[in-house]
Amino acid sequence: MDQLRILFSRCAAFFRGQRLDKELDEEVRTHIDFAVEENLKRGMAAQEARTEALKEFGGVTQTKEAYRMQRGFPLVETLLGDVRYALRRLRKSPGFAATVLLTLVLRAGAVTAVFSVVDGVLLKPFAFRNPGQVVVWRESIREIEHETPLLPDNYRHYLNLKARAHSIQDAAILQTARFSVSGGVDHPQLADGLAVSPNFFSLLGVTPFLGRAFTPQEAQSGRDKEVILTWGAWQRLFHGSPTALGATLRVGGEPQTVVGVLPKWFRFPVMSVMPGEATSGSTERYEIFKPLVPMPDELTANDAEFNYVVVARLQPGVSIRQAQSELDGIEKATAAADGLAIHLGVVVEPFAQEITGEIGRPLWLLFAAVLGVLLMACVNLANLQIARGVAREHETALRSALGAGRARLLQGVLVENLMLGAAGGLGAIGFAFLAEKLLALSAASLPRLNEVHLSVPMLCFALGLSLATSLGFGMAPALRSLRAMPQSALQSSSTRLSGTRQAARSRRLLVAVEVACSVTLLIVTALVTRSFAHLLTQDRHFSAQQVVLANADLSASKYTNGGAIPDDPGADRASLARDATIDRALDGLRALPGVQAAAVTSVMPLTGDMSVDGIVRPDHPVPQGEVPMANRRFTSPGYFSTMGIPLLAGRDFGQGDRENPRVVILSDATAKAAFPGENPLGRTIRHWGRIYTVVGIAADARINDLKRDAPVFYLPYWDYPPSSPVFLVRSSQSIQSLGQEMRRILWGVDPEISIPTVVSMDTQVAESVATERFQAVLLSGFGAAALLIAVLGIYGVLAYSVSLRTQEFGIRMALGSNRVALARLVLLDASSPMLGGMALGLVGAAAAARWIRSLLYETSAADPWAIGLSLAVLLLAALLASLVPVRNAASINPMRALRTE
Amino acid sequence: MGGDKSDVLQGTLDLMVLKTLESMGPLHGYGIARRIEQVSGNVLSLNQGTIYPALLRLEQRGWVNSEWGASETHRRAKFYSLSPIGRKQIEEETENWARVAATMARFLAPSN
Repeated sequence: MDQLRILFSRCAAFFRGQRLDKELDEEVRTHIDFAVEENLKRGMAAQEARTEALKEFGGVTQTKEAYRMQRGFPLVETLLGDVRYALRRLRKSPGFAATVLLTLVLRAGAVTAVFSVVDGVLLKPFAFRNPGQVVVWRESIREIEHETPLLPDNYRHYLNLKARAHSIQDAAILQTARFSVSGGVDHPQLADGLAVSPNFFSLLGVTPFLGRAFTPQEAQSGRDKEVILTWGAWQRLFHGSPTALGATLRVGGEPQTVVGVLPKWFRFPVMSVMPGEATSGSTERYEIFKPLVPMPDELTANDAEFNYVVVARLQPGVSIRQAQSELDGIEKATAAADGLAIHLGVVVEPFAQEITGEIGRPLWLLFAAVLGVLLMACVNLANLQIARGVAREHETALRSALGAGRARLLQGVLVENLMLGAAGGLGAIGFAFLAEKLLALSAASLPRLNEVHLSVPMLCFALGLSLATSLGFGMAPALRSLRAMPQSALQSSSTRLSGTRQAARSRRLLVAVEVACSVTLLIVTALVTRSFAHLLTQDRHFSAQQVVLANADLSASKYTNGGAIPDDPGADRASLARDATIDRALDGLRALPGVQAAAVTSVMPLTGDMSVDGIVRPDHPVPQGEVPMANRRFTSPGYFSTMGIPLLAGRDFGQGDRENPRVVILSDATAKAAFPGENPLGRTIRHWGRIYTVVGIAADARINDLKRDAPVFYLPYWDYPPSSPVFLVRSSQSIQSLGQEMRRILWGVDPEISIPTVVSMDTQVAESVATERFQAVLLSGFGAAALLIAVLGIYGVLAYSVSLRTQEFGIRMALGSNRVALARLVLLDASSPMLGGMALGLVGAAAAARWIRSLLYETSAADPWAIGLSLAVLLLAALLASLVPVRNAASINPMRALRTE
Repeated sequence: MGGDKSDVLQGTLDLMVLKTLESMGPLHGYGIARRIEQVSGNVLSLNQGTIYPALLRLEQRGWVNSEWGASETHRRAKFYSLSPIGRKQIEEETENWARVAATMARFLAPSN
């Protein structure tokens, strides 16, 4: 009770300090007056009466101090005093405060943002039960290993391995799929999804939020009329209504029943059936799951039909290596027992590696870069704080001579650094948010990017990092300056104390480290940027300005044969339907005003190799594994002129080929590989058991990937009309309105077509190098930050050392040295750490380049331009940084310099 | 400042102030200090200033109240008076002090 009342009274006093001070003053004055009065009455003289009264009272100041200690919260009050003092001091050196703050903000913010991306993309476990146990297995065939090291999985092998392996608990098989989905009213929309074996959900440890998972019976042909939706799809298609269960959706034109809705937390990353292919996109992309029903021949095929991905869960305690050796052993034994001519094998990989394998290295590179910036920033902070600590040695000595305790002095420094650290930390949080937004914009191609969030622990980390570095680098010099004896510190001037050889050496070392870091970072940045510039500016061997692409999806049932592969592809009813639709669409597109050319192809440009097949010559058999491989593309007449790909020999397809559709055009490289040293025109190749005659040779072009020419063989589209045709239109119209027109024409032909993508060729090109752009942009940012930090650091150290040597320079000048000589002295002083740092940086860059070589495109890791430019930029920056200190040194007034000492 | 010694002294001073206010009624700081000196027969040399932190302490506990008023010589001064809680507290403090004094006496008595 007492304690509470005292606390309350102290609180009250805390906020009314000034008034209470006045009252106390008055009270003390009255007291003295009373005493003087009484002393006068006793007959003392006026002067004596006053002296006596004061003596009786004791120390007035001490009394007031004791009274104040009793009254409020002395600790808080001195703390507030320290805060005010620190603010005043920081205001007096705005350069220092701004530099420290900026450094803290940039550094902690950048580290936090990049780390949150690394965490979200690479480190965060997947949202499954025990994700560490989940693996992916792929198959390999020794005979074609040098071409294609890994293959998708064969259904029959999957069943065999799943039944016999003891190292796995369960294995599910799946295939990516695209469904055109419609509630039955409007144009169907495309939705990505997976066809999965019924045990897929139990393997991942996921129970549907509503309804149920698939039953084994539903994985039989003709009984697979059910779908399971993700939470997101349920919200989008049914607005989260529970009546969705049992509702009917038209999927690919067929009515299907919704039997389950997955929980909100469930995410499955984008996968590629082709091994080693970069995957990207939101982990919310897959929205619809269907039971996987194998085709009849997939159940029997033993050395073909590698069409799937297998996801397995290891037994507890079993390592990937153990599982790999068991599965590989079973596969080899089975293949031998079956008397297969090819040598099969199995490769097991962690699930995470399957998803992020491609992107891991660039991301870690970024993280390393940001850590480099972090290191440099630390060096700068240390430098700044040391300089500051020395500068206030005199002040510290004075205060301690006046009776300030060690603790009191330390508290002052502590408060100042805490303030800087906290302000820096708050700034860093803001900066991290901004940086994360930018990252998300420039890195749309990262897998799992939608799972990147700045979490609370991450933000605490930013704040903590800022506080810790601010305190760490602020307190060490403070402790050091406390050790100085007040007497000697006051006698000597601060310059003598800190101008020691050792201090100078450590400052030079810090500059060297900083220069080394920024040289490394600049060179890596220059290399990656140059590689990116190469990628953008090189000849693509096609020219597609003013071209708009529209991808249409013909998945309504009249186009699909219900999924069965026809006996005579191209001549069946569904193929004819697709042919007619594509035909009419092309006619419509060509009739649009302003259209210069229109064509169709079977695969979206710049989306990588797809539909790769061997070029087999009936007249010239080659051993398996040496068959040249090429991408199969179905195109219409006019494709080459629309894409700007020149024909080197022969002719384009023409309507006349409809009579005899078995014609093929080869890309130059493919022609040379299949017909080395011969003229391929008029010769034949075998494909799908049919004989095709070569009628043309097209120039090589980078239609799949900007990094290299794609080997291609082109077939006329009516030979097997694509189910997902891509229409290309070159027009003088604006891209926006052209896109609208193209949609209108396509829907005019068939309103049941879904059109997932309409995009200009330029955008498609830009998107295909999104990862490279992301790297280049981010690294440039870090490179600029590193350069800025290095400039600040060099400037700080030089300016400081010039200010320390003011007296020396004064003496030199008085003795006849001229200004040029002084400037040279300063530059010389700066040059040794600079040159040393550059040498060190080159070594660092050489080490880093080895590591990033695989990221570089047609750019040598020892690219003289990149290295020369980086060094030149750094030298220029260093020169700029030393300009002001050098000028200060040269403009020293010898009289004043000597007098201030 | 040695901690323990001043604590004992503080406690003593507090009780002296309370007793003074009990016997004299409302009084200003100077009056209290003079009264303590007189009663102690000037044996106790008191820094008069120390009375103020003590008064503040008592006021914080709610044992005394203070009020600005005029002295006999028409000087503005702050007058302190015993509060009802303080009046009750005197008994307790007195008992406490008696107990301590008795204990001390027993220690100091010549051992037999």
